[in-house]
This record gives sequence, C-alpha cells and structure tokens, in this order.
Amino acid sequence: MRRFLLTRFAQALLQLFAVGSIVFLLVRLIPGDPARAALGDGATDEQVAQTREAMHLNEPFLEQYLGFWGRLLQGDLGTSLMSSRPVMQDLPTRLGNSLELVLISLVIALVLGVLLGRIAATRADRPADHALVAGSIFGISLPVFVIGTLLLMVFAFFIPVLPPQRFTTPWEDPVTHLKILILPVVTLTAASCAVITRMTRSAMLETLNTDYVRTARSKGLTERRVIKDHALRTALLPVASAATVELTTLIGSTVLVETIFGWPGVSSLLMSAVGQRDYPIVQAVVLSVAAIVILVNLVGDLVTRALDPRAEEA
Amino acid sequence: MAPISRRRLLAVGGGALGSAALAGCGTPVNLPESMEAVRARPGKPNRGGVLHFGLSTDPANLDPHVTTGAASDFLRQLTYNGLLQYDGNGEIVGDLAAEFGWTDTTTYKVRLHPGVRFHDGTRLTTEDVVFSFRRMMDKKTAATTGPLLDLVEKVEARGADTVVFRLKQPDTTIPFVLAGPTANIVSQRWIESGADPMTQVMGTGPFRFVERIPGVSTTFTRFDDYFDDGLPYLNAIVFQPMSDDYARVTALRTATVDMIDYVPATHVDVISENPRLRFASDRTFGFGFVGFVTSKPPFDDVRVRKAIALSINRPSVLETALLGHGQPIDGALMPDAFAGYPRKLDNTLPYDPEQARFLLKKAGREGMTLPVVTTSTYSVIARPAQAMLPGIRAAGVDVRLTQQEWLTFRASVTAKSFPAHSWGTAPKFGDPSSLGDFLSSTGTFAVNTGFKDQEIDRLLAEGRRTRDRSLRDEIYRDVEQRALELLPMTWTIRRQQGEAHYDYVKGYQHPPKGSWTGVTLRRIWMEKTA
Repeated sequence: MRRFLLTRFAQALLQLFAVGSIVFLLVRLIPGDPARAALGDGATDEQVAQTREAMHLNEPFLEQYLGFWGRLLQGDLGTSLMSSRPVMQDLPTRLGNSLELVLISLVIALVLGVLLGRIAATRADRPADHALVAGSIFGISLPVFVIGTLLLMVFAFFIPVLPPQRFTTPWEDPVTHLKILILPVVTLTAASCAVITRMTRSAMLETLNTDYVRTARSKGLTERRVIKDHALRTALLPVASAATVELTTLIGSTVLVETIFGWPGVSSLLMSAVGQRDYPIVQAVVLSVAAIVILVNLVGDLVTRALDPRAEEA
Repeated sequence: MAPISRRRLLAVGGGALGSAALAGCGTPVNLPESMEAVRARPGKPNRGGVLHFGLSTDPANLDPHVTTGAASDFLRQLTYNGLLQYDGNGEIVGDLAAEFGWTDTTTYKVRLHPGVRFHDGTRLTTEDVVFSFRRMMDKKTAATTGPLLDLVEKVEARGADTVVFRLKQPDTTIPFVLAGPTANIVSQRWIESGADPMTQVMGTGPFRFVERIPGVSTTFTRFDDYFDDGLPYLNAIVFQPMSDDYARVTALRTATVDMIDYVPATHVDVISENPRLRFASDRTFGFGFVGFVTSKPPFDDVRVRKAIALSINRPSVLETALLGHGQPIDGALMPDAFAGYPRKLDNTLPYDPEQARFLLKKAGREGMTLPVVTTSTYSVIARPAQAMLPGIRAAGVDVRLTQQEWLTFRASVTAKSFPAHSWGTAPKFGDPSSLGDFLSSTGTFAVNTGFKDQEIDRLLAEGRRTRDRSLRDEIYRDVEQRALELLPMTWTIRRQQGEAHYDYVKGYQHPPKGSWTGVTLRRIWMEKTA
C-alpha cells in the first residue's frame, strides 16, 4: 500500500508539473496581447508596447517560466495583470462556489443514480426498467446548455416558481441560497445521474447472475439481503470508478452552467481571464482545477482499493 | 503502514471536500437591504434604491484615462467628472465647469464650480485639473484622450478657479475632447500617493467606488457630498458583468437586473414589445466596416477594393444580421446628426455585383479567393460579417471567413495577416473630425489598412482648424468623397444600439449624438413600489 501511495503521489506531482508547464506555454502562444486588452481599441501600437513593458511581458521566456515555478513553490500564484490583485484573493472564493455546485450535484447523482439503477436491475425487462433506461438515454443525450436553458425557460418564464435571483451566500439567506441552487444543480445532475443509473443497472445485472449470489440465495437469505449485502456491494465498485470520471465531467460542465445561471464560480473568473489574457489567473485556475482532478483520481484509486482489496495484489 | 479503514478514508475524504466547499463559499458585495428602499418625494424624483445593471463587458481596468469600451465608460462616468459632459440630447454642457468657452481661436477657458470635493474629502483645485491633463498628455499613461490633445501647447491654472488651454493652432475638437468619457479629473495628491488607478477609484463623481470582484460585480454607493445639489438619487449601483447576450437579456426579463447595456439586435423586438421595459437607443454611432490592407495585393489595386465594396448587399446584411435594426451605409460615414452633408453622398456604393465582376475582370482578379477575418466574440460584428458573404460570392469571389476570439482577431488585424477584416466600432465623438481615426495616416483604425493619403490628411487638418460650420461641412464632405473613391475601408451598416431598463427606472436618456458616455446614469431614480 505504501509503495502504491508513493507511486501514485509521485505520478500526481508529475502530472501537475506537466499541466503547469503546458498551460504556461499555451497561454503565451495564443495570439492576443494583455496590454491591448487593458488599453482597448483606441490604443496605438506605441502605447501598447509601453504597457507591455510595464506589465513585465517583455522579460525573457525562461525567466518568466522559472519565476512562475519559483513563486508557486512558495505558495504564491501571482498577481492579476488586470486587477493587480493577488490571485489568491479571488481564487479560493470562486473555487469554493464551483465546488459547492459540483459536490452537491455529484452526491445527488450518486444517491439517485444508484437507487434508480438498483430499481431498474431488480425489475429488468419490466415497464419500470424500460422507463428508466429511456430516461437515462434522454439524460445522457441532452447537452448541459440545452437542459439549463429549458429549465430556465420553464421555471423562470412560463411557470416562474424559480426566477433567477442575485447570488446570495447560505450565511446571508439560506432559503434564497437553496432556491438559486436548485436549477443549476438539477442541470448538472441530469447527465451524471443518468450515467450512474445505467452503470449501476448493468453492474447489478451482471452480479445478480454470478455463482456467489446464487449461493447466497440457496442459503435461504432474503432477496433484500442478497441485493443489499452481496449484489449491490460488488456492483458499486465500477460505480465508484465512474464517480471520479463524473466529477471531472461535472467540473467541465460548470463553465456553461455558471454562465447560464450567473453563478460566481471559477469558470466566470477563467472566462474573463482568458478574454483579457490575464496569464496569472488562467494559470492559477487551470492548475487548481487540474490539482482537484488529480486528487479526485487519486482518492478514487484509494477507494477502489479499499472496497476491493484484491486490486492491491494486482 | 497500517491499512486505512474504508470508513475512515471515506469520512476523511468527504470531510475534506466538504470543508473545502464551505470554506470557499464567497459572494459579491451585498449591500444592506435598507439601501433598496425608495423614498417617494412628491413632485421630485424619488430618493433611494439600488440599481442592478447587467453590463456586457467586465472592464479590464478602471483607469479614469484609459477606456476599454463603452461599458467601462459607464462605470467611469459615475465616479469621476470631466470638465464638460453631454446632456441627454447629446449637447455639450458643463460638468465640473460652471462656465466654459473660447476666448480667442487658440485659447479655451474653463471656470470651475466652487465647492467640489473628492471622495476623500479634499477640495478640487485647478492644480488637480492641470495635473490630470498633463497625465493624459504623457505618453506613458497611454491615455485614450492623449492623441486628441496633440494640438494643446499648455494647460495652465489662473487663480483659484480658472483653467486655460493654450493651443498650438485652432482646434475645434477641444470641447468634444473635454466632454469625452476619458477626460476625467483626478486628485493629484491621490495619484502621487501611489494609488493604482487601474484598480482603485477616487474621483469627484456622484458615486464612490466600493469594490470590484472580477467577473462578478462592481459596486458604487452614493457620494453624499456631491457638488450637484440633490444628485444622485440612487443609494447605489451594482454592475454585474454578463458578456453572453442571451444571459444578459434573460437576466433583464426575469428582473435579476433592472437595466442592461448592449441589447443584441436579435432581442430588440422582444424587449420593445414588453410593456414593462423601455429600450433607449440610437442609430448614429455604431457601425460596421470592412478594412482592406491597401499596401499588399490584391487590395493595393483600388478596383479590387471598389469591387468588394459594390458586392456587399447592405440592405440584405442589415435584415439578415440585425433584423433591420439600423441603416445601410452606402455613402458617408457620418450620420445627419453630426453634419449637414451626409445625405448628398447617399447611394454612392449601391449593391452592384455585375459592376463588381467587371472591375475584378479589369483588375485581373476574376474568381479570386478572398480570406476575411472577423471576431467571434461580439455578435454585433460577427453577424454582419457572415451576412455579407452571399453578396461577395455573387460577384464571383471565393470569400472565406475566419472567425477569431477578440484579442486573436486584434492581433491578426494589426499584423495584417488577412487581406481584409470585418469590424464594428463607433466614432469617438459626434463630430466629423472623428473621421481622422479611420482615414488619417496615423488614425487608430487606419493604420491597420496601411493607407496613407496626403490630401485626406491635409483636409482633416484643415477641418480641425476651421470653425465656420458650412466651410467645415464642405471640407469633411470632400474627405468622405475621397474616402469613397479610394476606399481604404468600406462602411457597411449603422446599427441601432442601446440600453434597456424597466419602466420603474426613470430619467435615463441615451443621447442621439455626442458620445456613448452613459453619463445620464448619474441622474436616474427609481419608482419601485414593492
């Protein structure tokens, strides 16, 4: 286990280093000048050149690269070129807002998906199963922006029970916060829930036909106990792996959901930073999201091993 | 190593993720609920309330002298003052200036309002005004107004309340420049104390800056010591950047915000037909154009430029791209509101694909391939670019449109990577002298075409010096006529552009001429009953 942990940890660090280097390189390869963004259309080339100098954008590439890693190792993610604010002043708040959406959506998708998958598997080839399979295909097929826009149209315009409201923290007004959470969470949950439902269903169907389940039944255990203690437990292994993939998908989907519902998460910070070529913010956001994804995968591997100790021997 | 218990692992992992989420829950500035209250005053505009404004762009900076577009000017005009400003009709009136005008052809004098204070409580002095203009004229500032002050020799204080502009030669543009949204007066002491004007704000305006959270909100609250008695009426204004057109309009329709800017053409009808909403707009400033790189083939040949200009079906572009919300420009760039001559140049470039084919054949460019670049970032630019393609193809040109994200597009245009670019912008101010930006050899937009014409440069310089209205009309008519013959760029359509707000927002005016300053936001009030 120790060897496994060390190897995975080293891999994670290498992945982070690779992501950081690639992002550092890519943002500088994209045409477009932060100085131009800061000065607007009316600026002359001479003015842009002066501002580039003031923004330290003319420093040699290697110097910038080493400076970036040097500062990062000291916990400094840099300062925004546009707002001159330390990146750390905005990033944690925005990341927190996005994580709130993602984690709530994942938990709901997992609970609901496992429950529905179990219902579908135990009622295989019956109307409930067909309805759930059809529903999950629908959920997987519809893009996030379509679901979000449809929900907004229905619940904001036609039946205005959940009109979009200004962002309010749970500390200020928990009820309003809950209300504004509903539509973005439902939008994010739909596809993930469908994926988990299908995965749970097929894994359980496979498990229900195995010898040890037949043995359990022949021992006289109730069907409920067979499913709960034997079939579902084994079927959850691939679901646990799928959950880590779903979490990364959810993080990606927040870009659209935050735009549609005006959620002040990390995506709006990234979008505005990309538009203005605010390199330090782009790097910090991508690195922090990459770190989360890498961490989630690491945790996913650990959970899989914890659930199935045989994997450790492999 | 002791094996990790599964339950413990899940508990620790879950706990860590939960705490991360909770710790990170942050928010834009939330103003006290009491500020939302509106106090009715019989016979007078109501006091109080908070206006929530959905802004099309999150301004890249807050520097009072550097603009990044009309949206950022909206913010700037609330917290700073210039010497002059535009009223709701687009006429130039005093702002910090109580009196202003020419004393001779090269001297412009301004007398300041007494008792003006900055937000830190210090009194505005003539030294602050002189310092502000020196800052604008200093090339290091990269001030938007800087190049427009090139004929100013000296700005000097005379006594406690008068500032004089001495010019190298007569320049009729000075009042327009002083009324511009980036000719703001800053506190010398504040700037010299090391404040960063890109991120901090301190002016004499009716609202004081509270906080800006990039991509989320910029908040201003009432400045109680504002010199203009009674203003402002609102307690606060919160700008929320919403760059996506649909998100911005949806936010307005669902009353998430009270007002938005940059109503997209596709939503003008939806908003105009809503009895609770008001659309305030103009058809004079915003326009589209196609710029040609005149220094390289194929557009070093004026026949090819003219062929493309004649092959653009402007009425069709207007209908397709902007659903008819605007006007085609087949003649002068300047609208009637700015000058007396524009009508005389109407129909100079009608849609004529046959003539275009003929010109291309004469130039030996029949069936040529034409790469054109535009931006995908702003629909108001991208849609007309897409809509002009069928017309150009009808002239036998194999036109290929590339759409690029805004800064990439800007880099392509500056580098002249494409022989033609399709763009949209607005004149800096409502006077034909603003043509210089597009046609003079040093104009901001003209440099992208590599165009230089001594005659146009001469006429533009003469126009700036001339004060006689009819003479100026003749000069600028000649400029436009020559531009329509030489075609470094061809204008396409004038767009209807404006802001939309609920009918309980009162007092807002969108000036039909002058400039897009948004300055009338200073004077709005709310008539909310709930």
